[in-house]
Amino acid sequence: MKLEEVAQALSLEVHSAPGKLDADVTGGYACDLLSYVMAKAKAGDLWITVQGHPNIVAVASLIGLAGIVVAEGAKVEPATLEKAEQEGVPILTTPLPTYAVAGRLWALGVR
Amino acid sequence: MRELSLHILDILQNSVEAGATRVELTIDEDLAVDRLTITIEDNGRGIPPEKLPNLFDPFYTTRSTRHVGLGLPLLKAAAERCNGDVTLASEVGVGATLTATFQHSHLDRAPLGDLTGTLLTFILGGACDLRYVHRVRGAGERGSRGAGEQGSGGVREWEFAFDTAEMKVELGEVPLTHPDVREWLRQFIAEGEAELPRE
Repeated sequence: MKLEEVAQALSLEVHSAPGKLDADVTGGYACDLLSYVMAKAKAGDLWITVQGHPNIVAVASLIGLAGIVVAEGAKVEPATLEKAEQEGVPILTTPLPTYAVAGRLWALGVR
Repeated sequence: MRELSLHILDILQNSVEAGATRVELTIDEDLAVDRLTITIEDNGRGIPPEKLPNLFDPFYTTRSTRHVGLGLPLLKAAAERCNGDVTLASEVGVGATLTATFQHSHLDRAPLGDLTGTLLTFILGGACDLRYVHRVRGAGERGSRGAGEQGSGGVREWEFAFDTAEMKVELGEVPLTHPDVREWLRQFIAEGEAELPRE
């Protein structure tokens, strides 16, 4: 499933790298500990977190994640969006909690 | 990371990679002012002043100095989330000092974790002498189990400290990695930590 379809289905707001929304979302991962994400998330995963620090972009770009969903309406720092734009990492936001985002992704067939 | 001890090990390894032969690790839990301070001071080759700010930039570090990786940016973010900060001071040819502070009682502050395992891993790696000090101050009415209790002006203080350079002198020819010594060391550290008031 394309990231763009996921964004539409979940009404996610796109904040960076709109040109990368054609990425294939091949799985999902949810955790706020960046060390866990680095160790366990896979390339092509869509990552759900409430962290908004620029480090999330570094992690996403290291692993080759499809994108980052910042849940719970958590604030994303301007420096993070700037880096995300440079690195071509899509950051999408939603007021939904992490649990609900994961549930909807699962229902969409992202497993 | 789930435990601060993982951050500590990561930073200690940076010191080794910087060619340090001696590291001083101080963990200071000042409950009276609700502050946890971790200080790591090494005698490695140091970092030029103009490069210091770059070490906190995950992109600079992931792209050009593979040793450091995301270690420092992650520690800094963890500290900032807990009303603290990480600072790094260094003089080329002399060494570097990293200071990480946290609000001790902050809900998001990870526990110190398995310090015994962390210290053993580092010491038995054998690359560096380690001076270790773990201090707890102002633990209120808590029990007075600590052997190192000092107390001044009504504020209680516990301390567990050792220096592997001194141990090596005592041991003479016997290496720290000798199975008997290793087991003794493990117990010594575990017991020393257990004597301190719990977080």
